[in-house]
This record gives sequence, C-alpha cells and structure tokens, in this order.
Amino acid sequence: MIERHLLKLRARDTVSPEEEQAIRDSIAEVRDLPADTVIVHAGRLLSFSVLLLEGLLCRYKDLSDGQRQITELHVPGDFADLHSFTLKRLDHNIMTITPCRVAIVPHEKLEDITERFPHLTRLYWFTTNMDAAIHREWEVSLGRRTAVSRIAALFCEMKLRLEVVGLTEGPSYEFDITQTDLAECVGLTPIHVNRTLKELRERRLVQFRSGRVTINDWDGLATVAEFDPAYLYLGKLPL
Amino acid sequence: MRLAPMARYYLHIRNGGGYSEDPEGQDLPDLGAARSAAIDGVRSLLSEEARQGQLDLSGSIEIADGDGNILLVLPFSEAVELRQHG
Repeated sequence: MIERHLLKLRARDTVSPEEEQAIRDSIAEVRDLPADTVIVHAGRLLSFSVLLLEGLLCRYKDLSDGQRQITELHVPGDFADLHSFTLKRLDHNIMTITPCRVAIVPHEKLEDITERFPHLTRLYWFTTNMDAAIHREWEVSLGRRTAVSRIAALFCEMKLRLEVVGLTEGPSYEFDITQTDLAECVGLTPIHVNRTLKELRERRLVQFRSGRVTINDWDGLATVAEFDPAYLYLGKLPL
Repeated sequence: MRLAPMARYYLHIRNGGGYSEDPEGQDLPDLGAARSAAIDGVRSLLSEEARQGQLDLSGSIEIADGDGNILLVLPFSEAVELRQHG
C-alpha cells in the first residue's frame, strides 16, 4: 500500500525495516475519493496529514473573481500536507484531480515518529524541503517563463517525479488532467494552453492527449523548458 | 465556488498559427460565459504576443456545442480595445 511512498523515500536514503513498520503503523485509515473532492479546506484546524497512494492531488488557492491557482501537484507516494503537522491550519486547499486513494496519518502518530525515529524524521523534513523547492521552481515559471516553456517544464517535472515511483512507461506517462486544470497550474487560460500544446506537438517535443503525456524529444523539451532537475533532489544522499 | 456545469462549449482557435481544435471543451453555464472564457483566452494569447513585440489581431475563437455547431465567432479584435491616439 505504501510502496510508492517507500520508493520516493528510498530514492534519497535507506529506510530501515523498523522505520518502514513505523510508517505502516501510522496509517489510521484509507479513503477512496472521487475526482474534484476537496480533502483539506484552508483555515480549518487539522489533526492528520494526507499521504497519496493512488491518483493525482493538488494544492490550490482561489481568488474572489473565480480564478484558481494550483500551486503544486502531488503524485502517488507524496504526502500532500506533511507541513500541516507543524502548521495545524493550512493557507491553501487540497483537492483530488482524479479519483484518489489516500492514507490518513494522524498528527499524533507523526509526533510518535519524531520522538522514536530521528532518521525517518530527517527524511520527512527533506520531503517538505523538496516541496518548497518545487514551489520555487513554479514561482520562476509563473513569473518569468513563456507559456511554452512553463508547460514544457511541468511535463519534464512530472516525468521525473512519476519515474521515481514507477509510474512511467518509457517516454510516456498517465497524466489525467484537463486543459483547465493545466491552465490553473501554469497561470494561463485553457485557450492559451490549447494553443501552446499545439505548438509543442508541432515542434515534435511532446504530445498531451486523452490524459497521457508522450515525450518525443526529451532533450528538446528540457531545452525549451530550461529544465534543470537539480531542484528535485533525486540523487541518493544519506541524511 | 464553481458553478454547476450546465453545458459543454468547445473553444476552437483560428489565427496566424493555424487552427487549434479544443478537444475537451469546458463546462459553462451559458453562451455568455463561454464568450467570457473566449475573451479571457484571447487576452491571454495576445499578452504573450505583446511581450514578444508583435500583435496579430486577425484570429478568432469559434465557440461550438457538443454536436459541432458553431454558436458564436469571436474575432480577436473584439477582445481588446485599441487606442493609438489621444
């Protein structure tokens, strides 16, 4: 059940059998949720964190005029809100994009992990730092990249993150997100996204059709995106 | 809050870059909302062009229903007001 989570952690460092058991023991409940379900509402007091097992989740904020900004996507194996353990109330919402299976991890169990498993605690600290690095990269995209480069960068990022948890098939991966959701990730409109996807397709860099991304030219796509995977901290480095 | 979906509108693009079919469509309450989405989209496209120093107002958005009937054509020029003097 937590195999993808373990793949993610083990991409960075070793997880001992005792630590693995502690993670398994921390799960209070598993929930299956339909698409477009808000799991965490901003401002509410929280007593658990959400570990994504299957599906695609997002963190997002809404503006009063109906505009929505998705601030990060989560893939299976990610904690969507490990930071709620220390923040208790979030400044953003969390919503399912596709049907999702999530594990509910009570904060008291996380507290227990911090007291009994210092190495695993450091590993979890690393994962929240990685989320912050992803936010910085998106900030660069939203502030400075062109439309074509923003979407190229997102496709590159998702490819590497999904690869870590075994969810790519060669140059292709399932990415069951609408053009409207995609627009909300990259700060564009659905029309602009549609036009930009056409450009990426015509330049034979990447195709996005029916919930699937197929990268035709990784080097070309990464060049257009100015994609440097350093911010994903993929190498093994003991903590 | 998102409004309950009422109808699906397809916003196809026709401009200097050719024709881009909208494969998914968007669920919107009525044609007025679809026109607003089209205006928003055109402004987004044009803002990127303006950043690169050239504006092509000759395109249009074709708003179609699920059966492929074109309900409304929005010329890009209707999405912005241009002032060159005064």
